[in-house]
Amino acid sequence: MTKKENQLLKEINTKFKTKGRIQREHRIWVTINEKKLTEICKWLKEKGFEHLSAISVTDWLEQKEYELTYHLWSYDDKILITVKTRINRNKPIIESVTSIWGESAQIHERELHELFGVKFKGNKDLLPLFLENWQGPAPFRKDFDWRDYVREEFYDKKNEREKVYYD
Amino acid sequence: MIEEMEPAPKNSEYDLYFGPAHPGSGNFGVKLKIDGEKVVSARADPGYLHRGFEKLMEYRTPLQNAVLSDRLCVLEPLNWNLIHAEAVDELMDIQVPERAKYIRVIMAELSRIQSHIIWYGVFSKGTGFDTGFKMAFGYRDYILDLFELITGGRVYPAGYICPGGVRRDLPDNAKTKILKVLEKMKPMIKLEELENPALNARAKNIGILKLKDAIRLGVTGPILRASGMKIDVRKEEPYEVYDQLDFEIPTRKEGDAYARYYIGIEEMKQSIKIVKQALEKLPKGEVIETSLKKPKLSSKIPEGEVYVRNEIARGEAGIYMVSNGNNTPYRVKVRGPDFLHMIPVLEHLLKGVQIADVPAVYWSLNICPADMDR
Repeated sequence: MTKKENQLLKEINTKFKTKGRIQREHRIWVTINEKKLTEICKWLKEKGFEHLSAISVTDWLEQKEYELTYHLWSYDDKILITVKTRINRNKPIIESVTSIWGESAQIHERELHELFGVKFKGNKDLLPLFLENWQGPAPFRKDFDWRDYVREEFYDKKNEREKVYYD
Repeated sequence: MIEEMEPAPKNSEYDLYFGPAHPGSGNFGVKLKIDGEKVVSARADPGYLHRGFEKLMEYRTPLQNAVLSDRLCVLEPLNWNLIHAEAVDELMDIQVPERAKYIRVIMAELSRIQSHIIWYGVFSKGTGFDTGFKMAFGYRDYILDLFELITGGRVYPAGYICPGGVRRDLPDNAKTKILKVLEKMKPMIKLEELENPALNARAKNIGILKLKDAIRLGVTGPILRASGMKIDVRKEEPYEVYDQLDFEIPTRKEGDAYARYYIGIEEMKQSIKIVKQALEKLPKGEVIETSLKKPKLSSKIPEGEVYVRNEIARGEAGIYMVSNGNNTPYRVKVRGPDFLHMIPVLEHLLKGVQIADVPAVYWSLNICPADMDR
């Protein structure tokens, strides 16, 4: 069963000069430079990875980096490839994959733009989805403490009943 | 002096809000641009149920998150319980006892049945068949009684399916009660299968989703199966004990609202089949891994990352969990099927339909705003 995974991983490793790994049956993880992202995505789409299951961002505060993960599923091979790439946390700009996966990529990127502030070059619609009139920083960043934010914005220290939130 | 009146606009386009304060929309809105009676374009307006689960989970241990994961979707909390537990199991490398796996499957399938009953109910309501709605919620209560017996909660099981297995064993009378309830589902399915000319007129050839578009839009689960693709995560990469159970994947080719509705009925039959088999094969033994019988809040999650996929009633659910060795996960990404079904797919399907057909298209997608907003 892991034959397919081995073969695919070999192809990726030689073509893109990376070191991917097989976690278990159906799961491959590949790390790649951000400049090669669209290239590998296009190649994988042609290989049959038609379904973009999810895009996610992990905020690595200490390394000052955002890690973007693209979870791709192939209906034919029954393999899930996760493509990981790292970008600068303070200037989070990356090429969009909407030209490859269409609307499904567009909506995932729109969500991440709102929650992490990542700019996707080439995505035309990055309007906020969930938050209304949000003025603060991107709320899912690790250095954003929502407890502090709520205290500052919505509670009054002088109010007798709301004092407890500051203890 | 009377000012000159503005000339009437050439086209009769206007905006119409469907939801969030509409009896048939749920906590969700769609802004429709309408010309005469026809929808020109639709724009989804999510966010009314956004609670920031992904962030909340970063502050809590898996034990607490198991309870929190109930709330990801009001209509099928047990399935979300299961997927969260699976993610933690894989990260912590926990061997789940065989009996617990069977109980998990039984609970997940019962949850799927009651979720599909709700689907039928709200779809009937959307197409003007109120009796169907009331009957569906009546029959659903039988399953909720089972949940109360087994988990202690009617709607929210409070983390019944937890990392390591399930919280407690099935009560002694559970098997006979489950079989009795499954027997009671028969008249419900019979009602759903009735050829209803009014329903046919409102659902057939409405909101057709072609297979090519469906794949591009990221459609999964029953909606994709109604467009003619034979996929199911339970078959593609079997989790728990699905590989030892015999069931089929129902598909239809039409891709319209009626096809989607019909897939729901077929899946209920398959789920009943699965529950009966699982009860038959249910082995004896422990229901939770011994070290987790009395779990500690301070126990650490080993460093690593996993992506878990499950087939829930609405489609493909996924959890991406990263841990850096603390007792709380470093990052959790929840992939809900309705995030795609309710924004790009709904916007795509509503283009060009009549106003009167909007609820039929809307509810045929088996939507749940909770797992879209998270």
